[in-house]
Amino acid sequence: MGWIKEHPVLEFSHKKKVKFVFDGKDLEGYEGEPIAAALHANGVTTYRKTKRMDRDRGFFCAIGKCSSCFMVVDGVPNVRTCVTALKEGMNVETQHGDGQVALLDERKRR
Amino acid sequence: MAWKTADIVVIGGGVQGCSSAYHLAKMGVKNIIVVEKGTICSGSSGRCGAGIRAQWGTEMNCRFGKACLERFENLEEELEMNVGLDQSGYLMVAYKDSEFDQLKENIKLQNSLGIDSRVVSKDEAYEICPGLSADDALGFTFYQRDGHADPFFTTFAFMESAKRLGVEFLKFTEVIDIKVENGAVKTVVTDKGEIDTPVVLNAAGGFFHDIAEMIDLELPVHSENHDILVTEPVELGVCPPMLMSFSGNYYLQQRPDGTIVGGCSPVGHPIEYDLRSNFSFLEHMASVFTKLLPRTRDIRVVRQWAGLYNMSLDCQPIMGEAEHVKGFYMTGAFSGHGFMFAPVTGELIAQLIVRGNTDMPIDMLHYRRFAEGKLIIEPAVV
Repeated sequence: MGWIKEHPVLEFSHKKKVKFVFDGKDLEGYEGEPIAAALHANGVTTYRKTKRMDRDRGFFCAIGKCSSCFMVVDGVPNVRTCVTALKEGMNVETQHGDGQVALLDERKRR
Repeated sequence: MAWKTADIVVIGGGVQGCSSAYHLAKMGVKNIIVVEKGTICSGSSGRCGAGIRAQWGTEMNCRFGKACLERFENLEEELEMNVGLDQSGYLMVAYKDSEFDQLKENIKLQNSLGIDSRVVSKDEAYEICPGLSADDALGFTFYQRDGHADPFFTTFAFMESAKRLGVEFLKFTEVIDIKVENGAVKTVVTDKGEIDTPVVLNAAGGFFHDIAEMIDLELPVHSENHDILVTEPVELGVCPPMLMSFSGNYYLQQRPDGTIVGGCSPVGHPIEYDLRSNFSFLEHMASVFTKLLPRTRDIRVVRQWAGLYNMSLDCQPIMGEAEHVKGFYMTGAFSGHGFMFAPVTGELIAQLIVRGNTDMPIDMLHYRRFAEGKLIIEPAVV
């Protein structure tokens, strides 16, 4: 997989490349483009695991409606990665079930 | 010609009405009709915060609370249906010295009545409630046996058990008048027809005082709108106990499905029947959530709703028979803690109706206390 270079309708003007973390791995993507686009370009297809059956879910509707691409981003569960812009240093994690709100972090911060 | 006849008509298909009907039937009353203007549990019962606690500040409420915990612990077995009981405790938070002193007083009283509540340190509070941030709090008290149950499961369980004992439920049937003859209840007039009955139990929740007015009984009672919201589900462990503060004016708790529910009292307690959602509550409650449970900051609110608190002058229930109309019984004005008391108050009012006396004293809850100036002042209400 990689980045779409040509598209019959849309134009892409990839700007600044930024680093982000996916499940502990350093990856690269373009700033301001959807997190899901960067993951897709990096070959990541599983974004979350379902609550009861532990099944894979990934990129689906791409317009922020379907809940398929929910991930834990910077400790916040249920982030719609298909419509959330990528930023430098983001911590993106596979979401398991409903997603855990980060608790320990906050404790350390106090 | 009457549409129906009954031995007892219960007005209101909420948790009080269903519990009372169940206990009446269990005590052998045969021809019971429950009249509900909407659907079962569609009023205040189905809208409530669903907490159950024994951490009270008066002996009466401590005894009620303790009895209710005991009932709830055995309710699933008794009614043969899940009631969604979760005993993760109530964590009370004090922000003022006077408030913490009061909580400590309450603990003394509770301990003397066999309620094993205690003061906990901040570190312990954080362990009990891992999502909590309360640096400005002065003290905490905790009782493990407190908790919450599912108001729908509980009400439906009472209804189903009552049905099995022969109770008839009339939904979408609104009471519009009560006819009195020779100082006794004669007929309940509904929008579907008239029901002849010698006994009426007013368990109309938010409309308790409106029903009382039908026999020209003016009660110092009003209804007010209390809002509550629920977030999307997140994994469990954010806020297992019911987090509650009187001065902080909030209650919050994570439900077994992972959603977090929270509400507060309206400032100034205005009379309000309008249950439409309003933005000011959403804004206020969101700020309470993010202050207390900082990591819920970016999770979504799924919906908000409101229900009626039926408030009496002293925020305590009114139970008993009308003085001037024989056969008109009341159980209402629970002032925000009706759900948790329902298994016990339903049984007590049934005893009063059938036997004329009760296992636990409830005569101090008669509305004559307002005229006599014997108000029951409870320090532990939100």
